[in-house]
Amino acid sequence: MDKISQSVVKKDHAPKIEGRSVYVGDYVTARDGRPILTGKLLHAKVARARVLSVQVPELPAGYFYVDAKDVPGDNNVNIVLDDTPVYCRETVEYIGEPIGMVVGPDEKEVQRILSGIKVNYEELEPILDLRAAEEAFFDYEFGHGDVEQAFREADKVYEEEFETGYQDQTYLETQGMMAEPEADGRMFVHGSSQCAYYIHGAVMRVLGCGPTGVHVLQDVTGGGFGGKEAFPSILGAQVAVAACKAKAPVRCVFDRREDLEYTSKRHPSLCRYKMAVKDGRVIAVDCDVIFNAGAYSTLSAVVLQRGIIAAPGVYNIPNVHVRGRAVKTNTTPCGAYRGFGGPQTFFAMERMMDHVAQDLGVDEIAFKEAHLVKQGDMTSTQGRYHFPVPLQAMIDEVDAKCQLKRKHEEYKKRQTGRFRRGIGMSAYFHGAGFTGSGERDLIKAVAKLRKYADGTVEILASNGDIGQGVRTTFPKIVANELNLPLDKVYYDHPDTARVPDSGPTVASRSLMVVGELLRRAAIKLRTVWVEGQEQEVEERFQEPDFMIPFYLDKFQGDAYPTYAWGVDAIEVEVDTFTGVTRVLNAVGNFDVGTPIDYNIVVGQMEGGFLQGIGYASIEKMDYDAKGRIRNNSFSDYLIPTTKDVPNLTAMLHVEKYPYGPYGAKGAGELPLVGATAAYVAAVEQALGAGKHPLRHAPFTAEDTVKELTKEGN
Amino acid sequence: MVNGFVPKTLQEALELRATRDLVPYAGGTDLMVENRENVSYLFLGKLPELRQITVDGEYVRIGAAVTFTEALASDLVPPLMKEAVSRIAAPAIRNAGTFGGNLGNGSAKADSVLIEFVADAKLRLVSVRGERLVDVDKFYLGRKKLDLASDELIAEVLLPKRGLENYYYEKVGGRNALAISRVSFAGVFAEQDGKITNIAAAFGAVADTVLRWKEVEQMLIGKTLAEARALKADYLKAYEAHMTLTRGRVSAEYRKAVCMNLLGEFLAKFGI
Ligand SMILES: Cc1cc2nc3c(=O)[nH]c(=O)nc-3n(C[C@H](O)[C@H](O)[C@H](O)COP(=O)(O)OP(=O)(O)OC[C@H]3O[C@@H](n4cnc5c(N)ncnc54)[C@H](O)[C@@H]3O)c2cc1C
Repeated sequence: MDKISQSVVKKDHAPKIEGRSVYVGDYVTARDGRPILTGKLLHAKVARARVLSVQVPELPAGYFYVDAKDVPGDNNVNIVLDDTPVYCRETVEYIGEPIGMVVGPDEKEVQRILSGIKVNYEELEPILDLRAAEEAFFDYEFGHGDVEQAFREADKVYEEEFETGYQDQTYLETQGMMAEPEADGRMFVHGSSQCAYYIHGAVMRVLGCGPTGVHVLQDVTGGGFGGKEAFPSILGAQVAVAACKAKAPVRCVFDRREDLEYTSKRHPSLCRYKMAVKDGRVIAVDCDVIFNAGAYSTLSAVVLQRGIIAAPGVYNIPNVHVRGRAVKTNTTPCGAYRGFGGPQTFFAMERMMDHVAQDLGVDEIAFKEAHLVKQGDMTSTQGRYHFPVPLQAMIDEVDAKCQLKRKHEEYKKRQTGRFRRGIGMSAYFHGAGFTGSGERDLIKAVAKLRKYADGTVEILASNGDIGQGVRTTFPKIVANELNLPLDKVYYDHPDTARVPDSGPTVASRSLMVVGELLRRAAIKLRTVWVEGQEQEVEERFQEPDFMIPFYLDKFQGDAYPTYAWGVDAIEVEVDTFTGVTRVLNAVGNFDVGTPIDYNIVVGQMEGGFLQGIGYASIEKMDYDAKGRIRNNSFSDYLIPTTKDVPNLTAMLHVEKYPYGPYGAKGAGELPLVGATAAYVAAVEQALGAGKHPLRHAPFTAEDTVKELTKEGN
Repeated sequence: MVNGFVPKTLQEALELRATRDLVPYAGGTDLMVENRENVSYLFLGKLPELRQITVDGEYVRIGAAVTFTEALASDLVPPLMKEAVSRIAAPAIRNAGTFGGNLGNGSAKADSVLIEFVADAKLRLVSVRGERLVDVDKFYLGRKKLDLASDELIAEVLLPKRGLENYYYEKVGGRNALAISRVSFAGVFAEQDGKITNIAAAFGAVADTVLRWKEVEQMLIGKTLAEARALKADYLKAYEAHMTLTRGRVSAEYRKAVCMNLLGEFLAKFGI
């Protein structure tokens, strides 16, 4: 193991474990000692309607009702586009859409006022099902080769449809933001979040002020997983408007029901795949990918881009056509969740490969192995896999670990007992960093190091620690280059008043991109180091020269500089009487480059893998006929508990990335991406592959019993 | 504000219960979640009279305020009940949750109540007016409706001492811990001189109350195993016909399929 990989105690370990960390809900007063007003949102109760009037009961002194009319600037929240209103416009577009906010000193009284508000709606027909959607927020198309020709020449053409459901991030800490008008006229916004500068930009626009009119601090954050990428911009804008009106600090913290029902989650998907086979090889794939974006576009553009770039999987297929749409429905807007579109399309592609192999009478794993991409091959967007692709070695390692291939053969035999077994394998990647030229054109990350006279060094960057450990790994990198003990280097939660914009905490980019900036900055500081003096150095992002420029309009070029690779094997035992499926063994082999801290990385891999298994099996969320999300509590939306952690192994295969710090590349999201495909493949094998083609996830106990009932008929 | 009364004796508790509008509170694991406003509680969790597990000639008597953890540690509680209780929630909830609370909550998903149904348990209800014994299936009048007067408390569960040795139990939850039953099944079997003397089957979490059809059970009572096997198809058909289940977090069809599968497994286990 490299020295840099050796584990240290996380910098936030003691305060968190001792209960000293202060989360946004914990503040007793505002920073200047003023009392904090409680804000509670008035959520729409119907999925689509014109709001004719809102009758607010007479408000006691010190209480306020806030809505779109109170927005000093622009009532649009800047995300990718700006169609998301701060408070609703003339219509509401989903159940839960914020119409206004009641603000006041006493939470009970705020609740009482809220329940006394009468909203008169003129109801309109909502569109809930993505199949019925009429409007696509985004519609992309790309490909290479000649797909039509290939389909004409094929020996056989296959067509299948795959579906995946919602998944909620279920961070421990619900969404919460607070805004404090400061004496100097600035608005101070802080809370549970991942992307301080996104919030900064959003609040500026909403308040109609310049960059110095606002500053944003990330508070200690109890988990994000993507769920706090865009949503805090919306909630941050809402509390900022409320604080403006009340001229007092306002805090809004969601309760769990609000959070589960009304905040962004993973996009449900429908993927229609068409595959052409000639002489036993896949010669073409045509992928039609539809994501349910919900009522506003929020992050759907970028989630969809990542999803469709991965649509043909990790296979070398000469002819590719991809179409991707994110469609509007009158449901809660979907957003970012670890994996960011990848879990949906990898599920479809991996299942498609399995089914085609089964039909051809060849082993699924061997079929996949025969098609794996290699270094130098073209990517789906006509970029290149510039670096070694270690998938075959990773499959071999997984096989050695859990006898994948032997078991896969064994479980092919007809099983008839109550308990039946299967094992499935998936291979996948996660493109490291922002999609396309985002790092170069949009983010343009800047990071700084400030050295104080006493020789301590502070890292100035905008990436938030959300449990993934950047408050520890960033200082490790800097301390390593400066030959300092780790306690001489520190990284606080970012406040945009003090730190440059090193970009958001997303896309598995923080360590690879910003970590490398910090490494270079540290080298710079080392060369100019003067004992006893206060010094500052800065580094800016530069795109590596090897990159083939990416054009988003054509989906052409290198979508990512490099890739994190993954191989999962999941072995299950299905109880055919109850449908309950036990995971006997889950082995994930993850190549995220050099782990900057072994424990942190393994923790990320285990947690992400388990989230993936939850997504595959028990995490079912649905809306009813009116468009209301039914699973709005932790007794209705089940995630794995410690008793549900199967025999789970996270292996690390290290393929160093020369442009990441010490060879590190994107790690955070990868481990979630492939679990669904491997799990459902395993259940399918247990039920009898060929007989029961399974095409959706989560695949629940109920689905299993339904599938077996079909057999009986 | 929560107002509460902490009586020292059962008598005191009953007097308070008779004279004031109080919500009985045992472990609070259901009540804390409900978090009702403007109510006053009558805390029962420490009353010695409700905290014992004893045995007499006929019954194992489990006090209403006995926690699940205590029951699991007791040598007196039959294995069938222990197995069901061991599947409730997780250790923290089992440390606080009680038998009386499981009954008082009125849910068909209550895991200990399923066992009381299949075992023909009785409940001892007490009030300042006296006490009465009621069969557990009579205690449940409907969804969340109990035969419990406003001055009464549940004092004890009377579980038959004999006859629960041969059983089949299965709980289907959404995951391995902290999971409310989606379907639960308990079956009890007894045989004497080659004839079936008891073949009770109870289904939990599939309707407003725990379900049990004694008239169907009668089909096999007094029969030999061979006769029972011959009647098996009719017997299963009778269950099919009786089972109108409700949907919940899972569909009614799923519940029914699982119930029938488990019933079949129960029969198979005892040679039918
Ligand atoms: C996370 C979680 C998981 C759970 N999982 C399960 C599970 O797997 N299986 C399961 O069966 N239950 C489960 N429960 C429900 C609960 O724990 C049980 O119903 C428990 O038995 C309730 O007991 P208690 O003493 O805590 O009841 P309390 O909350 O104190 O009371 C419950 C009800 O019973 C009434 N009551 C209590 N004692 C008496 C009495 N002596 N006389 C008259 N009325 C009385 C109360 O007024 C109240 O209406 C779960 C609860 C939680 C919070």
